[in-house]
Amino acid sequence: MSAVAYTLVVFILLAAVATALFRDVLSAIVVFGAYSLGMAILYTYLLAPDVAMTEAAIGAGVTTILLLLTIARTTRPSTDRLFERVHLPAVVVVGAFVLVLFTLLPDMYAVGDPDAPIWGGGVLAETPSVYYVQNTFADTGAQNAVSAVLASYRGFDTFGEAVVVFAAGVAVLLVLKREVFT
Amino acid sequence: MIPTSIEEIFLLAAALFVLLAIMMFYRAVAGPTTQDRLLAVNVLGTNTVVILALLAAGLDEPWFLDIALIYALLNFLMAVAISKFTVERGGVL
Repeated sequence: MSAVAYTLVVFILLAAVATALFRDVLSAIVVFGAYSLGMAILYTYLLAPDVAMTEAAIGAGVTTILLLLTIARTTRPSTDRLFERVHLPAVVVVGAFVLVLFTLLPDMYAVGDPDAPIWGGGVLAETPSVYYVQNTFADTGAQNAVSAVLASYRGFDTFGEAVVVFAAGVAVLLVLKREVFT
Repeated sequence: MIPTSIEEIFLLAAALFVLLAIMMFYRAVAGPTTQDRLLAVNVLGTNTVVILALLAAGLDEPWFLDIALIYALLNFLMAVAISKFTVERGGVL
């Protein structure tokens, strides 16, 4: 972690807290844009440009417009004060969740640690990409390495994703009281 | 921390720009009207593009510039959408 990362983390924390506490919804949406900017830089800094690109496209573009479309159909209470009062039970729950996440932190490899499995350390003899290229056909019988990773190596993960998307679709249909997407 | 190479100078400059972003964030939170906040976030977006370009130079990863380009395009879209919403009360697209 260098100076860039530390200042970024401070910025992101400030933006997240402000987004949560704003009483005016439109202001919260605008500040959420700032949060998304910070996250995109942090993802880029941690060498995950694909995630950063998604964050740039979804966070800056789509989310803002979707949220605006939503509040256009609702009424906003006229506000006399800037921030919402802090809800203490919610803070306790979130704090407990953060503590649980922090207990998992020591098990993770530091960024750029040469012993991390992604560089060929740990249980693998070589880097994962080399492993997949060499062993995909023998392990799974699939001709395409990408399909093998998606449907075989991380098959349960993909199954979970499909369940989540299906549940979200059913929930949308229930809320809209329709039987098909039109 | 004294920078010893041009890459470290780029990274230090990026850190200073993030510091500027935090200052601009004060306006985004305090700014009395929505227009102030929108302007602050728009400046933050331009700031982000500069930071990403500095990171691309500092970490020697030229493909970071693609993300900077996407951000430059979509940040503009966000500003237009919010401006249109505040003027027309409901017209977004």
